[in-house]
Amino acid sequence: MPTPPKWADQFLVWFVSEDLIEEIQGDLHEAYYARAAKYGRTAANRQFIADVFQFFKPYAFEKYSRAKQFLPMFDNYFKIALRNILHRKGFTAINLLGLTFGISAVMLIGIYLQNELSYDHATPGHDRIHRVMNKYRDQTYTCMAFNGYNETSADSQLMLVNLLDSYDEVETACHFVPTHSPIGGFGQYFLEMDGKRFTVEKALYTNTGAAFQAVFPQRFLAGTPETAFSGFKKIILTETLAERIFGSNWANQDIVGKDITLRGEGFQLGGVVADVPGNVHYSFDFILHQDRIPGWAGYTYFKLKPNQAAAPVLAKLNTDVGKYHPNFVKDELWKGFISVPLTDIHFTNGNLYELKPTANKAYLTTFGIVGLVILLIILTNYTNLSIAMYADRQKELGMRKALGAQSHDISLQLLVEAVLLSLLCAPFVLFLLQYLLPPFSELMGIELGKNILFNGLALLSLLALLLLTGMLSGLYPALAYGSRSMLRLFGKTSTTTANGYFNFRNTLTAVQFTMVVGLLSITYFIYQQMEFVNNMDLGYQKEGVVYFNIDGIEKYRQLEKKLLELPEVEAVGANGVPGPMMLNQLTYKMKDTETTLSDGTEQYFGLGTVKALGLDCEPCAQLAGSKERIFVINRTAAEKLAKVKGVAPDELVGETLVMEPEWENEEFGYGVHHTIDGIIDDYKYFSLKYADQPLLITIAAEPAWAYEMLVRLNTDNWFAAASKIKTAYEAVETERPLEILFLEDRLYRLYADERRSSVLLGGLSLVAIVLALMGLAGIVSYMAFSRQKEIGIRKILGASTGNILLTFNREYLLLMVVSTAVAMPVALWLSSKWLEGFAFRIEPQFWVVLMAGLLALTLVAAVVTLRTRRAAAKHPVETLRAE
Amino acid sequence: MQNLGSLEETILLIILAMDDDAYGFSVSEAYEQHTGKSISISAVHTVMSRLETKGLISSEMGGETAERGGRRKRIFKATPQGVAVIEEIKASRQKLWGLIPGLG
Repeated sequence: MPTPPKWADQFLVWFVSEDLIEEIQGDLHEAYYARAAKYGRTAANRQFIADVFQFFKPYAFEKYSRAKQFLPMFDNYFKIALRNILHRKGFTAINLLGLTFGISAVMLIGIYLQNELSYDHATPGHDRIHRVMNKYRDQTYTCMAFNGYNETSADSQLMLVNLLDSYDEVETACHFVPTHSPIGGFGQYFLEMDGKRFTVEKALYTNTGAAFQAVFPQRFLAGTPETAFSGFKKIILTETLAERIFGSNWANQDIVGKDITLRGEGFQLGGVVADVPGNVHYSFDFILHQDRIPGWAGYTYFKLKPNQAAAPVLAKLNTDVGKYHPNFVKDELWKGFISVPLTDIHFTNGNLYELKPTANKAYLTTFGIVGLVILLIILTNYTNLSIAMYADRQKELGMRKALGAQSHDISLQLLVEAVLLSLLCAPFVLFLLQYLLPPFSELMGIELGKNILFNGLALLSLLALLLLTGMLSGLYPALAYGSRSMLRLFGKTSTTTANGYFNFRNTLTAVQFTMVVGLLSITYFIYQQMEFVNNMDLGYQKEGVVYFNIDGIEKYRQLEKKLLELPEVEAVGANGVPGPMMLNQLTYKMKDTETTLSDGTEQYFGLGTVKALGLDCEPCAQLAGSKERIFVINRTAAEKLAKVKGVAPDELVGETLVMEPEWENEEFGYGVHHTIDGIIDDYKYFSLKYADQPLLITIAAEPAWAYEMLVRLNTDNWFAAASKIKTAYEAVETERPLEILFLEDRLYRLYADERRSSVLLGGLSLVAIVLALMGLAGIVSYMAFSRQKEIGIRKILGASTGNILLTFNREYLLLMVVSTAVAMPVALWLSSKWLEGFAFRIEPQFWVVLMAGLLALTLVAAVVTLRTRRAAAKHPVETLRAE
Repeated sequence: MQNLGSLEETILLIILAMDDDAYGFSVSEAYEQHTGKSISISAVHTVMSRLETKGLISSEMGGETAERGGRRKRIFKATPQGVAVIEEIKASRQKLWGLIPGLG
């Protein structure tokens, strides 16, 4: 006799609830035998399996409903939870407010971190793409160049790229340089089309269009990559730029193939691509495909074939490069090429000429930790508040137990409440974030996509975050009240009999305030350092100086003349604007010593720059005589050289210094020789993150070349002055738009990252402290309520209202002292770590932490007093009457 | 009057008609026999448990047989309320039939 398939039968037994299995299995077996007799075994088997799977639904899982009617059920939990949330409006409001602010802050941090950590991850095959970097002297260059790169033929510019391309491991290699980079000069240009002129920025020059498209695929909205990159003299616009030039209906126009002029050269429009997202390491508004790269270096990338490593490619490159550029191998200072994986570029600090500001992993970690701290405060808050709140719900819980609810029923009930409450704040969080995100991304200097909030990932993370918050925060009350015996729930005595001073609740509060005090102090240290940097004597006058790019000395001279005629202009100078990113360094030594130093920075500027900056330059007096130019070194350089030579720094004046002594030439034999005309005081040319660098400066009475122009203004009316400068500029220069910038702004931007962190940390500590105080207010109200009788007895025994208030406050005094004591070493240590990033820095003072502790204590005392005032003032008769 | 779906109504009628031998498998057999349409046993089970929740039928365990491997059946019976509901439905239908000219 046939029997039903065993596995299906066992499966049925496994999933069907005990109450139902007998009848269901019976029915199915009966049906099986009936069918087997009628239609044969195979059909019966098939039908049996189908039947089993058709029973796989909630109906069969559940316990038989009649047996459950007396137990609290899930929808009942839900109903009661909702009722409680609506009933306790004050509690709900405080909790919702705290949750909304806290979760929003955590979400902001999350969005920021996600943006930073996702850099270049959207590029397909990103794990196979590497950038070649050049090690020279003690520095690493992010770009690749060789002597004469700028002048050489188009073919030899491509030599290194072609070499990379020829290796078996390499799929393709590309080469480009964006103008919005230290090499490109960050300039603006005029773009002309059909007689109309547009000011544009961010060009990306590439001489390897097809390879660029293969390594960094751009999405074409008009034209195709094949046609756009076939042949040179092509321009490819981004969507935004196309819209600016052709109007919003550009997509409906026949624009591909149009003629466009840029910097006097003609280009043909090859296509339109989607805008470059913010989280890639390069950016552009348009691509120019031409046979040569204008500039002295380009950024070089290669994409490996699958399952290949970068190291062998670099090894070959370092050997083979000698065949094409013997100079590389001969040059002692050249330390070889290295490579960096595409997704590491954003986190590799300290290299020269990086395209975009890199991320500091320490900052990201800090933000992440602060996010967790806030999350922890939210969790402890809810726990604390609900412990307090459930005090007057004990009878309800006791009644449930009396009616047959088990421990886990009570726990589940309380957990559902916590989760429901945290889910309720989702719409508020979304609402708040919508308004916070634009200013936030501006503050943090990030470009977020349009749909950063309402996409699957963000919404899902929010949901997960809320669920997690709800579960974790509800866990303690759920377990504590679930396991409490019925008698205790009905009992009249205080529920949370504290086990010693450091019970669970007090520990939570102490942890919260440790974090608050730590955050506050660190924020203050950062603020102090920023102020210090801002007010430091830089050795020149940064106020009232503007600067802009200029193309060549001819235009400089014409404009200098015009500007000096303006009454608002005090001085005009060529080159030498302070506050650049780190520059490439060179080697130098005294002619009669052997030791070569390698950390020199060469400077060339006009006497006008000295005047415009107000530099203290005694040797400059020599320029008033017959001398056309003088060579000076700063104090740091003088001290270094004097130490090598074994003389006093001032004795170097009149001696000969050799720059780049390893360079052989006809004029001097080796290096470039300069007679030192004087020594000037150190001035802070670079960011204050770096110690004073040795500067080797040539100052010319009449500069022989110029690429940037400084103007010192003696007026407060910047707008009027700027418009006059603009008029003068436009009379001289018609090819390039004017972009006037303030020196103060440039110096300010040097610390943008640090300032950003201080503002963010400040904002977050504010959120943290408000949340912590809210939580405290909740507990204290509850404590005052549950200790009413104690207060009554104390009063009868002679305590005044003031005494009572003091009793409550004293309890928190010790907590705050402990918090401050714990926060102090941590905050001091973390701040010193952070301050190590600055060569010129403040010393973190311990009293700042004390003040933060005191501030927190004051706020705590205010909250405690406010919340206990009423209980303390109550007449003892009212509280003790019931006995 | 309680709302009844058409499947619920049919199953309730079958249970009434089968008198004391209505259980999952037998009802599904009867359904197929009387309506000519096939129905899965699990669908019958869900409908009957729904009817039971509504209080229109009641059940008890009993009647084990050899072909069920000694397992008992859950035998369903209509409650007085169930009978009342089905009669009410019949009455209201008949009233409607009566209103159709040339038929009733």
